[in-house]
Amino acid sequence: MTGLVARPDRVRLAGQRQQSLALVHFRLMVVMLLFLGVVGVIALRLLYVSIFVGGGASTPAGDGLLPARGDIVDRNGVPLATTIQAWSIGLHPRQLVNDAMEVSEKLAQLMPEHSAAQYFAMLHSNKSFIYLRRRATPELVAQVNAIGEPALALAQEPERLYPQTTLAAHVLGWTDIDGRGVFGMEKVLNNRLLDPAKRGQPVALSIDTRVQAALEEELSAAKDKFTAAAGSALVMDVHTGEVIAMVSLPTFNPNDPGATGIDSLRNNVTQSVYELGSTFKAITLANAIDSGVVTSMAKKYDATAPLQIGRFKIHDEEPAGRWLDIPEMFTKSSNIVTARIADELGQSRETAMFKKLGFGAPPEIELTAKAKPLWPTYWGRTTVMTVGFGHGIAVTPLNLAISYAALVNGGTYHPATLIKRGPDNPVPTGHRVISEATSARIRQLLRLVVLPAADGTGKKADVPGFRLGGKTGTAEKAQGGGYNKKLNVSTFAGVFPMDDPKYMIMMTLDGPHATADTYGWTTAAWVVGPAIGRTISRIGPLLGVIPDVSHDVDESDLLPLLWHPGIAKPKLTGAAAAAHDKD
Amino acid sequence: MIRNSLVPAPLAQLPWLIILTIVGITGFGLAVLYSAAGGSLQPWALGQGLRFFAFLAGAVALSRLKEAQIKAAVVPAYVILVVALVFTELIGKVAGGGQRWLNLGIIRLQPSELMKPLIVLTLARFYDMLPAGEIRRWNAIWPALALIGVPAALILVQPDLGTATMVVAGGITVMFLAGLPLRLFIGGALSVLPIGAGAWSMMHAYQRNRVLIFLDPESDPLGKGYHISQSKIAIGSGGLFGKGFLQGTQSHLDYLPEGHTDFVFATMAEEWGLVGGVLLICAFLIVIWWGLGVAMRAETRFGKLAAAGLSTTIFFYVAVNLMMVMGLAPVVGIPLPLVSYGGSAVMTVLIILGLLMAIDRGQRGSHTSFG
Repeated sequence: MTGLVARPDRVRLAGQRQQSLALVHFRLMVVMLLFLGVVGVIALRLLYVSIFVGGGASTPAGDGLLPARGDIVDRNGVPLATTIQAWSIGLHPRQLVNDAMEVSEKLAQLMPEHSAAQYFAMLHSNKSFIYLRRRATPELVAQVNAIGEPALALAQEPERLYPQTTLAAHVLGWTDIDGRGVFGMEKVLNNRLLDPAKRGQPVALSIDTRVQAALEEELSAAKDKFTAAAGSALVMDVHTGEVIAMVSLPTFNPNDPGATGIDSLRNNVTQSVYELGSTFKAITLANAIDSGVVTSMAKKYDATAPLQIGRFKIHDEEPAGRWLDIPEMFTKSSNIVTARIADELGQSRETAMFKKLGFGAPPEIELTAKAKPLWPTYWGRTTVMTVGFGHGIAVTPLNLAISYAALVNGGTYHPATLIKRGPDNPVPTGHRVISEATSARIRQLLRLVVLPAADGTGKKADVPGFRLGGKTGTAEKAQGGGYNKKLNVSTFAGVFPMDDPKYMIMMTLDGPHATADTYGWTTAAWVVGPAIGRTISRIGPLLGVIPDVSHDVDESDLLPLLWHPGIAKPKLTGAAAAAHDKD
Repeated sequence: MIRNSLVPAPLAQLPWLIILTIVGITGFGLAVLYSAAGGSLQPWALGQGLRFFAFLAGAVALSRLKEAQIKAAVVPAYVILVVALVFTELIGKVAGGGQRWLNLGIIRLQPSELMKPLIVLTLARFYDMLPAGEIRRWNAIWPALALIGVPAALILVQPDLGTATMVVAGGITVMFLAGLPLRLFIGGALSVLPIGAGAWSMMHAYQRNRVLIFLDPESDPLGKGYHISQSKIAIGSGGLFGKGFLQGTQSHLDYLPEGHTDFVFATMAEEWGLVGGVLLICAFLIVIWWGLGVAMRAETRFGKLAAAGLSTTIFFYVAVNLMMVMGLAPVVGIPLPLVSYGGSAVMTVLIILGLLMAIDRGQRGSHTSFG
């Protein structure tokens, strides 16, 4: 501070004070600029958050509370698949600190699925990570943690949990180790369940857990009783196409799908095709009535002797030995008469109806694992006849269920769905298959098969008050290019209550074996009929169908056409009765 | 300034524009608190309103002080407050746990809150006393660092990172304004990097993780980031014009934590939208700009430094809170003054306002006496 020109101290100080005030002033300007900059950043950020964050805010809970994958619930909100935070125990072999021998012995004690020697090998493996246990219990995690080995990694990760275990396993499917759906509705809904904007909301399936449980139990009991190889069953809303219950046996536990064999994973309702036999007679008859081939219920057809066409011979299980009218031939399930009617219909009308009912393609439903029906490769006159009663054509049980729904609901085809109908999944318009009048006639005829007074093949399925109608079907099991004469595929396809049709129910047992109380028979009337009856008495009330013996389908014009309906006949007992009550 | 013979001179001399702005911000804040309580004056809006008017009266009283009186009170007040901080810490140790409050029987005082304006005044007083030629010497630095460091350390161990940061920031701002060489600030900022890197390399993985989550809370959506993501969703769901008064769902359904205190801005923005947010920011900007204007007009060194530092303190409150709510800054627990529920911040801001008015009046007083 030594200037060339000496100044008085006071002047110099005053000058410095002025200078420093100017400096403060300048610095103040800098601070103001900085403030403006910060305010600008805040304003831009506010603009960004207000305008761009808004779109993703449809879920009130925000990302933090969103599940990694959306839940699947049944039509009443019962959880079927959910995501939990589960503990996993893993191993980073390269981070081993303690003595490998000691650690492997402790691991073998805690998790005995591997021996100490195997754990020792894992600890010396050159993999970077090995899962030892997923979905471990907290106690086990605490015990593994107590080993105090840094190479043992404990982590919480999202795990898919199916709280009802095997219930509706084939409908739900499962997810792979990375949480992607690989089978069933988990696969179908994969993107929807992972979508951050939607996964906070569970997806409601059309399944009703209570009905599903009852159907599974009854089918399982029937399958065990008759030691059948497989079974499938279905309950479906005939007006909306909603599948209320879908069972395929043998089943598996989707919590651990790898634990069961590949056969159990197949969904027999959509992936297996069967010759469903006489259940096709309802289709042939509906076709014949609708197209004017059968104009009167009283029209009689010759069933006196087996029908010989070339080298084929079509015969009835229980030969009537007389001419049969339509109600008689349907309740007695006459192959001969059906063949004659199919012959009159001809191939083009027959196949056209099959196509309208969706038999030309895999069944229409969201599931991806579906089989395409097998059609005859050669259509001769006999083919047209046998296909008319369900031999020589193989469809999935779901194909048949959809067609039955269309036959009884007034004649409109609707695709099946596993997602609850509502604003997001409205009932499609569908297309007309048969006329309202034909549909009403088919309802009468199907009810007649089960009506005890008519003594038809389905009477064992009847439950008083539930007005069940339906058709039995038994076909020899196709095996290795021919037919296995000893094994049947036994089916019952029905609808209740038939005076105001609401639900389609069907059961198929693949390869049932006879027991003493069926007198050696494995036909549908014996093995599936009673199971259907038991199931309906359980699920009817759940579905809001109130048993009512004062209402029924008006059969007044058909009952007189039956041969001595309901009046004294020689009372058959035991094996003779069994032979009478065949398919 | 209102010039009307019907209005008494002391009243006419008050900066009514600013007082009305402050009352407007508070009124808006009360509306938000009313809505956050589900359309009820209890438990927040009523108490907050009463406290505000009490402190506003105090601020008007403060504005009657002369600059000389303020200057005289600064050093004793600083000493008392540091002692109070020590006492708070000792009582906290005895009670076992973090302690921020000093219970004086009648009122519960939070000494750290008062330290925010007082550190500014203390440093302004220090640089006022410092001979102008000393400003580029070591003597201009170490006492200031000590004056900041002691209370900051005491507050940091409470632990209250937010307040400690604001005390340090307020002090450093005054040091900057006083004219300390620029290289000190640039050098200081640059030295943070190697020190940080050194500390980083010495940390364990979990410690690094904590630092990372502190700096970027959104990387931990279930932990600290939960506040931020909820807050951003609340602001975002308001859109341009908001959902309307009493119509917010995020805050009413308690999805937004601290919706009436630190995160009140998100509650506001959900119901009033971008428009409400911009208006609120503009209102704060008016107050801060006026404060900086007071500093510009002030003719004494103390007045300039004190007014600028005090305005900066309000700015820090607003800026840090807004950046925190919008996910630009770590969650450190700084309220939005006058809007967030809680008496301490209202008290601090009105003390600052009173002091600014006093400094402003002093300047105008000197003008009128000469002119």
